[in-house]
Amino acid sequence: MKKTGFLYDERFLLHRTGPEHPESPARLLAIYRGIEEAGLLPRLTLMKAERARQEWIEAVHSVKLITRFEEACRLGLDILDNPDNKISSESFETALLAAGGVIGAVERVMKGELDNAFCAVRPPGHHAEVNKAMGFCFFNNVAIAARYLQNKWGVKRIGIVDFDVHHGNGTQAIFDDDPSVFYYSIHEHPSFAYPGTGREFEKGSGPGLGSTLNSPVLPGQGDLEYKESFENGLLPAFETFKPEVILVSAGFDAHVDDDMSDIHLSTDCFSWMMKQLVGMADQYSNGRVISVLEGGYSINRLPELTKNHIEILLGGKT
Amino acid sequence: MFINKSMTRNVITIRGEAGLFEAKEKMELHNIRHLPVVTADHVLAGVITDRDIRSALPSAFTLHMHDPQEVEGIANLKVKDVMSKNPITISPMNTLGDALLLMNRARKGALPVVDKQGNLTGIISTSDVIRSFINVLGIEQPGTLLCILAEEKVGEMKKIVDAITEEGISFGSILVAKYGDEGKRAVYPYLLTNNVAGVKKKLESMGFTLLDPSEWSLDKFTER
Repeated sequence: MKKTGFLYDERFLLHRTGPEHPESPARLLAIYRGIEEAGLLPRLTLMKAERARQEWIEAVHSVKLITRFEEACRLGLDILDNPDNKISSESFETALLAAGGVIGAVERVMKGELDNAFCAVRPPGHHAEVNKAMGFCFFNNVAIAARYLQNKWGVKRIGIVDFDVHHGNGTQAIFDDDPSVFYYSIHEHPSFAYPGTGREFEKGSGPGLGSTLNSPVLPGQGDLEYKESFENGLLPAFETFKPEVILVSAGFDAHVDDDMSDIHLSTDCFSWMMKQLVGMADQYSNGRVISVLEGGYSINRLPELTKNHIEILLGGKT
Repeated sequence: MFINKSMTRNVITIRGEAGLFEAKEKMELHNIRHLPVVTADHVLAGVITDRDIRSALPSAFTLHMHDPQEVEGIANLKVKDVMSKNPITISPMNTLGDALLLMNRARKGALPVVDKQGNLTGIISTSDVIRSFINVLGIEQPGTLLCILAEEKVGEMKKIVDAITEEGISFGSILVAKYGDEGKRAVYPYLLTNNVAGVKKKLESMGFTLLDPSEWSLDKFTER
C-alpha cells in the first residue's frame, strides 16, 4: 500500500458562489462523505491547508490579478472578471489556501513523506490565466504547483495530465513555450464546449513546441476514445518525456451523468485512466503523483469517482 | 463591413516586365499565391497566380521532352505574358458580403482592391475573410456554443435572447441558419460562459429543442 495524502480543509467551503452555481461547496462535502463512508480515512494521511505565500502565486499570476481579486473580496463584490466567477468575501483567502494546500502536498511528496496525494480543493484552477480569472477559476493551483516544483525543487521535467472535460486553457498558456512542462489534456471538442481552446493543432510554441498535446473528443463519445487517446497519445508521449513528477488536473465532469458536458465517460473509465497515470508515475516518476480537483459537478457521482480515485492512489484497488 | 477595413494594405506587387522566376520567388518569400501586376504609376494591369506560373513552366518531369529553343523561350517568359489581363476586382467601398459572394461565384482566392482611378489600394484574400469571420463568430473568446431549434416565426428569437439574458450571460455571437425545410431555424448562440447547464434546462422547459451536436450544421446542404 502506498502512503497517500488527502488534502481536505473545511475552509475550502468558505468560497461561496450562490445558490444556482454548479461550482458549489456541496461538491466537496460529497467528496469527503464518499471517502469517509468507504472507510478510507484511516488509510490516508490527512492534510490541512496553509495559505500560499504570495511569491508562489506570483510565480504564475500577475500582481494585478492578485490585487484585483483581493480588492473585489474586500469590497464585497460578487463576481471577478466574468459573471461565471462568483465570489464571496472569503474567496480570496480560500484561493490562497487551495494553492497553498497543493504546495504543501507537493512538498511532502518531494520530501518523501508521501508517495502521492489527492487535493480536494476549491476553487478550481486550470482555466485561470496569468492575468485573468476564468471558468470558476482564480488561481491556477496546478500551474502554481509546477512552478514551485521548478523553483524550489529544481525539477526539470513535469508532466501535467488534465482530464477535466473542459480544456485547461490557463495551464496550457502558462507553459506554452516551456519545454520542461509537458501538458496533456483530453476534453470535449472546443467547438462544442467551454472554453473554445485545446484543438489538436495547439502544440506549444517556441522551445515548448511539441510539449503540449491536446485530445479533443466529440460530444457523445466516451470510454473508447479516451482509452485510445491515452494509449496512443499520452503513454508514448510520457515514455519519451519521462516526467519526474506527474500533476493531475482531476476534473470529473466528463462523466455521463454530469450535465456540464456531453461526454459519456463511465465510472470505470475514470478508474482505468487513473491506473494508467499511477502506472506511469511508478515507471518514470518514482510514484510521485499529485492530483488536484478541478471540475466535476454531479453531486451523486462525485463520491464514488473520488473514492475510486483515492483507492487507486493507495494502490489498493485493482 | 467595408472591404477597406479588412483588406491587406501593404500589397506585394510585381511589374509586367518581371520574369516568371522572380514572380515565383516573390510568392514563396511572402507565402502568398496572388501577385497584382502594376504599372509604374501603380495602376492595376493584371494578376498573376502561382497556378498561372505552374501552368506556364514545364514540369521537371517533362523538361527533357522540350527542345532547347523552346526551353529558352519559356525561360524568357515575362509576367505580362501569363497574367490574367482583366482580373476581377473589387472596390474599397464594397462590403465583406460582396467579397464573399464574388469570391465564391468567381472561384477566386483573392481580389485586388481598386479605387475609382484604377489605382491598386489593397488586396482581399481568403485569409482576410477568414480572420474577419473568426472575429464575428467570437470564437477566440472563451465560451460555449449552443444550438437551439426554433420555429421560423416572429418572436422566437426574442424568447431565446431574453431567456439567456435573464441568466446574466453575455453573447459572443449569435448565428441563425436554415434547418431542413420544415420552416425551422437553427439558432447558435455563442455564450461567454462555462455555465450553460442551467440555461439549457431552462430553454428546454420553455419548449425549445436543443439539437444534438451531430445534427449541427452551418452549411446549406447543396450538391457539390
